[in-house]
Amino acid sequence: MKPKVAFFDFTCCEGCQLDTLNIEGQDLVDLVSAVDIVEFREVLTGRADRYDIAFVEGSISRESEIPRLKEIRERADIVIELGACAHIGGVNCLKNHLAMDEALEIVYGDDAGDYDTIPARPIHAVIPVDYCVPGCPINTAELLRIVKELLLGKTPELPNYPVCVECKMAGNVCVFELGRSCLGPVTRAGCNAICVTAGRHCWGCRGLVDDPNIDSQKDVLEKYGLTVDQVVEKFKIYNTYTEVAR
Amino acid sequence: MREHSVLVVDDEPIVRESIRDWLTEAGYQVATAETGEEALELVATRDFSVLVVDLRLPGSAGIKVLEAVKSERPWIRTIVITAYPSAETAQEARRLGAVDYVIKPFAPDSLERLIDDTLASIPPEATVIAEAKAPTPAPPVVEAIGVKASFVVDRDDLRRLFDGLAASMRMIGVVERQEHYVFDRVKRFDDVCLDYDVTVHPPTRCLFPTREAMLRLKLGEPPAAEPTVDAAPQVLFGVHPYDITAIELLDEVFMTKHPDPNYISRRQNTVIVGVDCLRPSPNAFAPSMGTDRTDSGFDLLLTDIGGRFMVRVGSQRGASLLEEYAEARVPSDEEIGIQKALLDAARAEYRVSLNVARERLPKLLEDHYDDEYWQERSATCFSCGSCIMVCPTCFCFDVVDEVSLDLKTGERIRQWDGCMLTDFAKVAGGENFRHDKASRFRHRIFRKGKYVLERYGIVGCVGCGRCTTACLADIASPAEAFNAIAEKAKIKTARRLIGEITPDFGLYAPKWAKLLRVEDLAANEKAFEFAFEDGAALVHTPGQFVEISVLGVGEAPISISSSPTRGATFQLAVRNVGNVTRALHDLVEGATVGIRGPFGNGFPIEALEWKDLLLIAGGIGLFPLRSLIEYAIDRRDAFGRLIILYGARSPEERVFQAELAAWKQDAGIEFHETVDRGNDTWGGHVGVITTLIPEIEISPARTMSVVVGPPIMYRFVIGELKKKGLADEQIILSLERRMKCGVGKCGHCQINGVYVCEEGPVFTLAELRNLREAV
Repeated sequence: MKPKVAFFDFTCCEGCQLDTLNIEGQDLVDLVSAVDIVEFREVLTGRADRYDIAFVEGSISRESEIPRLKEIRERADIVIELGACAHIGGVNCLKNHLAMDEALEIVYGDDAGDYDTIPARPIHAVIPVDYCVPGCPINTAELLRIVKELLLGKTPELPNYPVCVECKMAGNVCVFELGRSCLGPVTRAGCNAICVTAGRHCWGCRGLVDDPNIDSQKDVLEKYGLTVDQVVEKFKIYNTYTEVAR
Repeated sequence: MREHSVLVVDDEPIVRESIRDWLTEAGYQVATAETGEEALELVATRDFSVLVVDLRLPGSAGIKVLEAVKSERPWIRTIVITAYPSAETAQEARRLGAVDYVIKPFAPDSLERLIDDTLASIPPEATVIAEAKAPTPAPPVVEAIGVKASFVVDRDDLRRLFDGLAASMRMIGVVERQEHYVFDRVKRFDDVCLDYDVTVHPPTRCLFPTREAMLRLKLGEPPAAEPTVDAAPQVLFGVHPYDITAIELLDEVFMTKHPDPNYISRRQNTVIVGVDCLRPSPNAFAPSMGTDRTDSGFDLLLTDIGGRFMVRVGSQRGASLLEEYAEARVPSDEEIGIQKALLDAARAEYRVSLNVARERLPKLLEDHYDDEYWQERSATCFSCGSCIMVCPTCFCFDVVDEVSLDLKTGERIRQWDGCMLTDFAKVAGGENFRHDKASRFRHRIFRKGKYVLERYGIVGCVGCGRCTTACLADIASPAEAFNAIAEKAKIKTARRLIGEITPDFGLYAPKWAKLLRVEDLAANEKAFEFAFEDGAALVHTPGQFVEISVLGVGEAPISISSSPTRGATFQLAVRNVGNVTRALHDLVEGATVGIRGPFGNGFPIEALEWKDLLLIAGGIGLFPLRSLIEYAIDRRDAFGRLIILYGARSPEERVFQAELAAWKQDAGIEFHETVDRGNDTWGGHVGVITTLIPEIEISPARTMSVVVGPPIMYRFVIGELKKKGLADEQIILSLERRMKCGVGKCGHCQINGVYVCEEGPVFTLAELRNLREAV
């Protein structure tokens, strides 16, 4: 009996689901033969009553999303957060720095009264979740690994060390050495340092490691000629929710 | 004739001349000086291996000579002699780098031995005298190239050598990237950089990749696991001597005891062309670690002497390559002089150095194990692993299974891991044996300055300075830590013929065993009985463990619960706490699992024989101890009294209940048990296990106690046993650690410098007293 898998989305760009659909070649063939995909709005119209695994993309930013999310939780054995918005709130939480009516006004102008909004939050702030696939967007290899481990009966675990480990394994020159700043030292690995390898820096989209040394990070950035404000700005992009919760 | 030179400075002619005559007789080149000025003049114009200096001299006192030598020629080993010893001058001499302080009068042969020992701790050829002579015409091209000889080639010779090697092998050289240097694939000789300072990452990753498959797996029944190695022929072109020393350390780790198939295959297919570092990195301190020069570990070693290259031949393969591709000629005296001057100038350019002789590091670190330094300095650590990921002497790894989506095939992968990462020493049950930053920070520095040297005989830090550069918190420099702590052991260097080591391709490959029987022990515990498919016995000692594989899920260390006296099958009792143990619990009779081992030392049977045994098990500590209990029952005549104490948390959590009942009935066994919390049906003793011990009468002189249980239990049980009069040597414990590879390589199970999978898991309390991370 193949496990029933469903995909859902809330406030997000749906990029993580798109990346899931971009899984190529034999991997995609193997994936659809290993599991039964019963709901996936981007590609399917069907519905199901029960799910073995429900992947949820996006964060929660409206009251009306909450009952729908709770219903998914009730119908699913395993709920997995898919991507940064679901996992840590992501870029949606940038609006949490504003008053909600101010945010509505900026986005919708005169029509602001037609919409409701609440401070954005990750999925686990609303319902209990079992696992997560971090990242903006997700690393599909990691998604596949987690699926395979669930099929084998293993407990999926994320690396509990910072991006620096994978960045060094990739053979990169440290971003700080190049005179720029980077959130790699406090961000959870699992992306193979893809942004640094591509010539940029780490944005922190996978969230913080279990025991991040934030104070030291601020000291380091200052040492490299950056202010705490600049660090906080960098942090806010993905980690507003986490930073506020601390 | 010895190649080393000694300068003797003493104003007493009789002392000066007697030392000179004795050492000359012993084969040293000896120069003498009467005053400090004379000595300084000589040191400024000539190089010496060893300086023997009297502290009381006319003119510049001996201390001034020491000061000048330390700042200008720090590589010269100095020995202070004096007829007026004092604590102040001894301390001062030590501060100025003197390796020893000898009080007059002394026998000349003892000074000779001291000089021999001092020189044995530095690489040969480090301080050979080479006085520049008048230019002589270039000698002719040589016919035969010999190992351990030096030649001169020009740049075109080198180009031919490069092109010749690159035509048939993967060529890896140093190239510039983002204003830094890295080892990378390189096609054209002109792209190779030979005058770099240091690379961002070490070349050791070409021999021990960040990630590699060790086994190809076939899941299901029957399972299969084939060793796999990618060892395409490669050339490492332009490796600095400190990195060559690091490769020699990896050779020691992977090529001795348990020959690692992946490393050895790759190493045997690697040509190493070294190059002397003439432009040291600002964070490097290689001379302090004795690694800025080397005379082994390479096939060829180049020194750029300006348009031409001096080439040292390090192996027969190097000799053949030079013969094939280059028109090598014998170096002139002038060229030898130029090389010497360049190497000395480079050595003087290092900006970081140790304030203590590296031989003293192990002792010094040991004495400062509990220092506040570790806590203070590690406060800003990110636990980001950058220091260990750029380190050429780091070699610890993790092992994981990766499977295909159809769950039919997979690979067992090893990837870099290390002691600075938070979860490195964490076991499946959740206990983390190095959970705080300070203990991880200290462990790394102890590995670099003590554990590695003591275990492998090669320095654990080569002074490349990469970690200093990589550390964002600026805390990683071993030189800084060594200087802050500041210590003695002789550095021996192992030399071997790489081609003569036979890799053990079965090292990581399991043998297949069938699951014959499963017995439920408690809610979360089961016992499994296995037999090897080929009918062979496990051949183990009670207290040893095996690595058990469920392909695709992974491998885990499990202690053996049955005695070798019980036939060809063996039993493993397992609590369901992690992925592998959960998969084991799901297995049904007839399933096939992979077994490696037995590993570890086991209980010391010879020390236990003819003694009264007091065996104490807490909780699932009974699993390993049962192997010894069965053994003692089966060889009952070989032991005195057999006293067994067993404690469980509750009556429901008692394991092997039928056997507990049988032991209670057995007239030859004194069995006592207790539970922490009773229930309505429990009529026995209630209380923690320590409450049983005062009731037992023993004769301390002929009793040996073996204790197995959770870490928390040990402290209290040991206290009670000490009250009974048992010495530390009579108390034996078995420890749990994360034994990932089982063969002393991966590093996870270390307690200080000890590898629990090889030296343990069984230790006497006396042994553990010296291991501070143990209990």
